[in-house]
Amino acid sequence: MTQESVPKSNHDVEEYMTKRIGIGKSFDVGVRQLLVLKTNVQLYYVNGLVDSVMITKMIEELVEINDNEWANKRNIAKIIENRLLNIQVEKVETMDEAVDQVLTGLVSIFIDGIKYAIIVDVRSYPGRTPEEPDTERVIRGSRDGFTENIIENTGLTRRRIKDERLRNEMHTVGERSKTDVCISYLQDVADNHFIDFVKQKISEIETDGIPMADKTLEEFIMGGKWSPFPMVRYTERPDVASKHLMDGHVLLFVDTSPTVIILPTTYINCLEHAEEYRQAPAVGTFIRWIRLIAILGSLFILPLWLLFVMDPSLLPPQLSFIGPNEEGNVPIFIQIILGLIGVEFLRMAAVHTPTPLATAMGLIAAVLIGQIAIDVGLLSPEVILYLALSTIGSYVTPSYEVSIGNKITTFFLVILTALFGVPGFMIGTLIFILYLVNLKAFNTPYLWPFIPFDLTAMFRFIVRVPVPLVNNRPSIVHPKNVYSQPLQKRGRNK
Amino acid sequence: MSENNKVKQDDKPIPAEESTLKRALMTGFIGGLFWSIIWVFTYYFSFSELAPKSYLLRSWLHREWTDKLLGDVVSILLTGIISMIIALIYYMLIKKATTYLAGIMYGIVLWVILFYILQPIFPNIPSLHELDKDTIITTLCLFIVYGTFIGYSISYDYHEYQNE
Repeated sequence: MTQESVPKSNHDVEEYMTKRIGIGKSFDVGVRQLLVLKTNVQLYYVNGLVDSVMITKMIEELVEINDNEWANKRNIAKIIENRLLNIQVEKVETMDEAVDQVLTGLVSIFIDGIKYAIIVDVRSYPGRTPEEPDTERVIRGSRDGFTENIIENTGLTRRRIKDERLRNEMHTVGERSKTDVCISYLQDVADNHFIDFVKQKISEIETDGIPMADKTLEEFIMGGKWSPFPMVRYTERPDVASKHLMDGHVLLFVDTSPTVIILPTTYINCLEHAEEYRQAPAVGTFIRWIRLIAILGSLFILPLWLLFVMDPSLLPPQLSFIGPNEEGNVPIFIQIILGLIGVEFLRMAAVHTPTPLATAMGLIAAVLIGQIAIDVGLLSPEVILYLALSTIGSYVTPSYEVSIGNKITTFFLVILTALFGVPGFMIGTLIFILYLVNLKAFNTPYLWPFIPFDLTAMFRFIVRVPVPLVNNRPSIVHPKNVYSQPLQKRGRNK
Repeated sequence: MSENNKVKQDDKPIPAEESTLKRALMTGFIGGLFWSIIWVFTYYFSFSELAPKSYLLRSWLHREWTDKLLGDVVSILLTGIISMIIALIYYMLIKKATTYLAGIMYGIVLWVILFYILQPIFPNIPSLHELDKDTIITTLCLFIVYGTFIGYSISYDYHEYQNE
């Protein structure tokens, strides 16, 4: 791309801008021409992205120069710069930069006869105020969540970590979209290799744009592109993001997305929830265990039950009541698959259905599909029970991405079990575990700390350890600074 | 308080040469406990007609308790201890492996040793071709996961230590 410098004459600037960003054609880009001290001054802006009150104020100030400084013999550019009341004012010398800035929502001021443009930040992006994220609600704790505005988002973490060693590095991704991407990390904690790796991956991205923000970015950065499991952890909670930042993780903010990427991550890390840290350690542990049971249930209860229906002799005598009393009209395997697909219908419908219709949908789901399906003999009551358990288990999974991945695994296990019985179930489970073992996010084993086993980290997952007793950061992020609090602390807790 | 104590002894902040060995033994012990518990579950649900206790207790002891819960608990603990030796052998021979495939192979080798080579030692264990398909596949899967658990953990820990 040729670096065209700012032409001296404002006439040329106008011609260039008309051609390049289509002034007069696109309604949202505009120019305001002023006469300041008998010199032509042009302001370029995008009307949806600037604060019109501030622009009016600015123009007022510029026009008043004619009254206030008519006797001043200084350079006109100096006078104008002096009269701009905004915080962020800078000069650019090429047209490319000036155009980029205008399209980002800043105002470019061109002065006739001056070979640079003055850029003023008067951005005001359309957006909402922080509100509690739907997917990660807690009973106690902060109710703010990330928004679509990257500046507000980094602000929310900065409010929680007022450390001079916190780095927020801005990068731009996308030839056309020019989306801002911010890498955040603690300079003296996070692993340099990993930061370099992420930066390199981001600079290598050559795509038109990333309108689907964080998800697209994940696909560009991480391996395992076909994996049904998330290779990063997503969060919309600033407190969760800050906690990971302090543990030595790297965060990626993407403008226009309220979801922040936490890197690197593991399967087990995705099973943690902010709620566990908002309750007493014993309660947190209890919640985590129950959650673990629910997640394992969502994975294995359907294939196991199918196995016991297919071969009741597997059941020990104490559990022989399990299994349908009558065979039914449809094979159990088909019933389970139908049920699983039906539940997916409902889940998707629940996402898209407008609120006024939600009640009607709930009615159809509960009464028609549930009860009538049993009455007409399509599904047996026991299928509904285990289906419901499995589904609730998947809703308990804190990470939505993991719960969908688990869902696919359940399908896979049910089909293998139906085809091959016990060997199918065992080999399916083996493939599932080995698949997770095989996955790597950068050089982080995905099933860590289970396989490869790390006693400390596993213990901290099984038991929600009180924070004063956790002195060191998780080894998986290879922190430069291992300790999160001084070691003497241990003595005090004896 | 036991929780706190456990945390303290687990917190080895700076790994040293002997601590990788310690961790390998610990991995072996936990791995033995965990996967033999799973094995007992598969025995309980008749996936497998053999359980850890078939080898460790029933082959030489015919008391009644060996067939009860106590027999399972004792055999699980014994498996944990034996598993430390298995982990030690891996640590001495193949800890430098860079892939978890070494662990899978290790698991398969262990299974062949136990089910084929050592089979004549145990009077109550049927020979390989007399075992049913479910038992063979279930135990083989368990041994593969167990081998991966031991092998990948020790190798990963070793390479992490090398990188420090």
